Amino acid sequence: MTHALPVAGRSQAWRYARSLFRTHPGMFRATIGLHLLAALAGLAGPWLLGDLVQAVQRSAQVAELNRLATALAGFVLLQAVLIRFAYLASARLGEQVLAELREEFIARVLTLPLGTVESAGTGDLLTRTTRDVDALSRCVRLAVPETLIALLTGGLVVVALVAVSPILAAPLLIGVPITVAGTRWYVRRAPAGYLRQNAAYSEVTDGLAETVEGARTVEALGRQGQRIARTDRDLGRSWRAERYTLFLRTIWWPVIEVSYVLPMVLTLLAGGWLYLRHAVSLGQLTAAVVYVQQLIHPLDRLLSWLDELQVGAASLARLLGVADAPEPSRPAAPLPVGTRIEVRGVRFGYLEGREVLHGVDLTLRPGERLAVVGPSGAGKSTLGRLLAGIHRPTEGSVTVGGVPLGALAPDRLRAEVALVSQEHHVFIGTLRENVAMARPAAPEPDVRTALAAVNALEWSDALPAGLDTPVGDGGHPLTAAQAQQVALARLILADPHTLVLDEATALLDPRAARDLERSLAAVVHGRTVVAIAHRLFSAHDADRVAVVEDGRITELGSHDELVAANGSYAALWRSWQGEAPEKPPDMARARPREDAPF
Amino acid sequence: MRRLPVADPGLPDARSATRFLSWLVRRSRMTIVIGIVLSVAWMACQSLVPAMVGRAIDAAAEERGGALLGWGLVLLVAGVVQALTGISRHRFSIYNWLGASFRTVQVTVRQANLLGSSLPRRLETGEVVAIGTADVTHIGGAVDVASRGTGAVLAVSIVTLLLLHTSVPLGLVVLIGVPALMAVVGGLIRPLHRRQQAYREQQGRLTGQAADLVTGLRVLRGVGGEAVMVARYRARSQALRAAGVRTATVESLLEAAQVLLPGTFLVLVTWLGARFAADGRITVGQLVSFYAYAAFLVAPLRQLTESIDKVTRGHVSARRVVKLLGLSRGTPPQSPAERPSGDLTDPDSGVRVVPGLLTAIVTEDPADTARIAERLGGYAAGAELGGIPLGCLPPAGLREHILVAENDARLFSGRLRADLDPDRGGRLDEALEAAAAQDIVDGLPDGLDSVVAERGRSFSGGQQQRLRLVRALVADPEILILVEPTNAVDAHTEARIAERLRAVRSGRTTVVCTSSPLVLGHTDRVLYLERGRVAAAGTHHELLDSEPRYARVVLREEQP
Repeated sequence: MTHALPVAGRSQAWRYARSLFRTHPGMFRATIGLHLLAALAGLAGPWLLGDLVQAVQRSAQVAELNRLATALAGFVLLQAVLIRFAYLASARLGEQVLAELREEFIARVLTLPLGTVESAGTGDLLTRTTRDVDALSRCVRLAVPETLIALLTGGLVVVALVAVSPILAAPLLIGVPITVAGTRWYVRRAPAGYLRQNAAYSEVTDGLAETVEGARTVEALGRQGQRIARTDRDLGRSWRAERYTLFLRTIWWPVIEVSYVLPMVLTLLAGGWLYLRHAVSLGQLTAAVVYVQQLIHPLDRLLSWLDELQVGAASLARLLGVADAPEPSRPAAPLPVGTRIEVRGVRFGYLEGREVLHGVDLTLRPGERLAVVGPSGAGKSTLGRLLAGIHRPTEGSVTVGGVPLGALAPDRLRAEVALVSQEHHVFIGTLRENVAMARPAAPEPDVRTALAAVNALEWSDALPAGLDTPVGDGGHPLTAAQAQQVALARLILADPHTLVLDEATALLDPRAARDLERSLAAVVHGRTVVAIAHRLFSAHDADRVAVVEDGRITELGSHDELVAANGSYAALWRSWQGEAPEKPPDMARARPREDAPF
Repeated sequence: MRRLPVADPGLPDARSATRFLSWLVRRSRMTIVIGIVLSVAWMACQSLVPAMVGRAIDAAAEERGGALLGWGLVLLVAGVVQALTGISRHRFSIYNWLGASFRTVQVTVRQANLLGSSLPRRLETGEVVAIGTADVTHIGGAVDVASRGTGAVLAVSIVTLLLLHTSVPLGLVVLIGVPALMAVVGGLIRPLHRRQQAYREQQGRLTGQAADLVTGLRVLRGVGGEAVMVARYRARSQALRAAGVRTATVESLLEAAQVLLPGTFLVLVTWLGARFAADGRITVGQLVSFYAYAAFLVAPLRQLTESIDKVTRGHVSARRVVKLLGLSRGTPPQSPAERPSGDLTDPDSGVRVVPGLLTAIVTEDPADTARIAERLGGYAAGAELGGIPLGCLPPAGLREHILVAENDARLFSGRLRADLDPDRGGRLDEALEAAAAQDIVDGLPDGLDSVVAERGRSFSGGQQQRLRLVRALVADPEILILVEPTNAVDAHTEARIAERLRAVRSGRTTVVCTSSPLVLGHTDRVLYLERGRVAAAGTHHELLDSEPRYARVVLREEQP
């Protein structure tokens, strides 16, 4: 049904990583260099401990013990200072990279062709915007530096071990195949397992929220038993997902721990044997055992972040993938001459092979008010979206002043035609920002005039901070009618010559809708208006009425003409007026919806 | 380990948060005891490793090859036992954690069901939802550390004895020094946690803003303004970046302190140990194990601090759960055994609903509709059924008898059929037809088995409304009160619903609150209310002719 948004491939991710390094070479060098130095300083501890043991063994002077202890203290201090700056450098780099990535991503999302977004579903994009950005920032903030430090520290410990005694480093090799085999087995299964576990857990919390928020509905319909069964089923699913990841850890953890202890025992035994043969000193033996022990910590850190890194990489691929979505070509178009919008032989379908509009011709007369009526799923909204340039016709053309709408740049297009749908949205921000969206530089009086024109100034001024009151999610709540008035005030500021109103007053209480109709009158004044009508009274006032049935315009004319013609519009009008219809209106037998559900 | 969740979570002890937590602990006492035993064994193995390494090095220093081999093998065994006890401990830990969390979810859901429509009035939704998102995890964590914390205490005790046994002065330095260090580091961590919390909140707001943009993308496209939105997002994102770097400044200091403080302490212990060893008061091997013990003690002590933290959080969360569990909805004063029949009346407004008819209520002021529906449904006091106040009827029976179907009724996620027709009573097809909703089902990929998104968000407003109507018709109550059931559907669909409603409800009582003439034309009787009182009654056509104010409300003032 849907065309998922693309996901970046391996080569694209590498290209991105390389470009990061090229844009911030200094930050990368500083981060790696400082971490390397810090790890080096950390290695001095066991080394000096070995020296200390040697000194004790050959009954050295107290002064020498003091000297060694002082050196040990010095290295601890040095390591602490280096760690501080290394940590800061990697945090700076990480934050910088994250900020760039998410800003580019959002900028790209907002310019995606709406058709692409809708065929992929908003859900996918929303997941990428929220979950993937968060997962990646967790990865960049924690997993990447931890892994880097673990790799550097581990590598240096091995080097130090070899420097102490190459022979004593050999037992490490026995741990390598065990660790690698165990980890490969685990990492192949873990990410999917943890994703499932998290998904199952969110279902539990979502189900609980639903039971609580819908408590009244649960009671009204007597659904208590159903809710309890659903909760227990969700919990059972969560339990199974937890059991699976627990099983993975039950195998992996002991394997890894044995792979840590085995080299340690071997180093101890082989070292002891070599010491007895006088091939190594007691100091070398001590230092080697401590180094092998010290290796456990970075190794453990490295392994524990592996699956997090995988999740991060997958998120990165999904974020970069959006940049891959095809961008519509916009050839430089001539500027429109005049404001006449013409639809010629337009055919359109959201999905291949499922056409919604089958050849529509329509010319809007500048300044007229056209009502579009017809049953659900007949293609009214689709026609409106084509008129507003949101979709491009599969066949035929929609032009304004002789120029195809699709060829206009977005800001230019919105100066020609704008769409208001029943879907209104108040953005997070102040009321002023919400109104002045299309013209952010609009001066205060213009914003107030726009609000006043839609009868919204009175309640706007009554808000706690007036126009500067935060609204939208988490802000001051607006009623549906107020939200729709905000949407209308936006239009007054945007000032397009043609407006498409797609059931703009639906979903409102009819009596509130009536007030809104008055606000609307102020907006439509002096503009060409296409009103996709929901309630018939608005059709009555229009200059012309277009009846859309089955993806075609079947009747077109003034209200009086259509009533006189006695077609399907006339039948519906009579039933609205309270007269018993002579026969059921033809168009009442609506076909199943074929367009997307919005 | 038995499978979870348990079929019956039992009756929680909700007298206080502590009692609730201990109720949870008692409920899984067997697995908690096993968890403690495994925890101690695991920690013991861990704490013995340094001693074994020390003994082995001593054996080598004394050139006793057999003893070296022996200690080496003991170390290997200890390592394997540690691995096995470690994972078993973890398994029980997860089991205890999930057991307590799941049980909390179960008792919460049962309590929410019990409270029903009185719940939203009693507690803020956010508070109850917090139980689902964070509290359940915290409570599970508190029950889980009951076993892990005990293990840590025992491990610290073992090491203490070993140290004091080897050298009393050096042992004392370690025993006083390590907790002191933990306290210092702990003191540093707290302000950092606050800063991190603030950073996370800021990050959450940025994510919220991004989600807001995606959700409103279609609206944004309709009017333009993409550039402004990107600029605003960029500004916030840069603010978050700066906050991140500021947090990292504190974090980096803490990272350095976590190296510096234990490091300095280790140097002190080693230096003292070396001097003792030089004096011959301890062996070289013992010196090495002192070094190792001082390093080892950090882990169980950290676990102890973590336990204290988790128990505190768990207690706070348990308080919220207990608050919910402690609510009761109160029993109706009088519950007559038999269900009364007769007219449903609302004396305040003068509304009288005659059984078996399709009655419409039209109000001049929309707010009155909601108030009257609340009363007729028994959610607010005032209405009577056959002369008995609704508040005196048992709530469950009342809801079964009278169903108020309103537009903010929740559509539940899951399979569509499960929400529309949970009992499979055979009325579904008829209801789909009556609500003109068959085309919605036909348009779904798997028909009635398709999965509905949360709140039915994947459906348009009009589709949601028709599905709610289907659900109410399937429930088939004796009295059905429909509040504005068709205000979001187009006129054609509304006409079809209006035609079919009477047939599907024939023989039962139906009240429809609406102002749509398409619906009103198909009702038996219309009550027109002004200022909350019935002003006129009759059929739609009678009222159209006799009441100009009624005509104005239903036909809109623009109409002649």
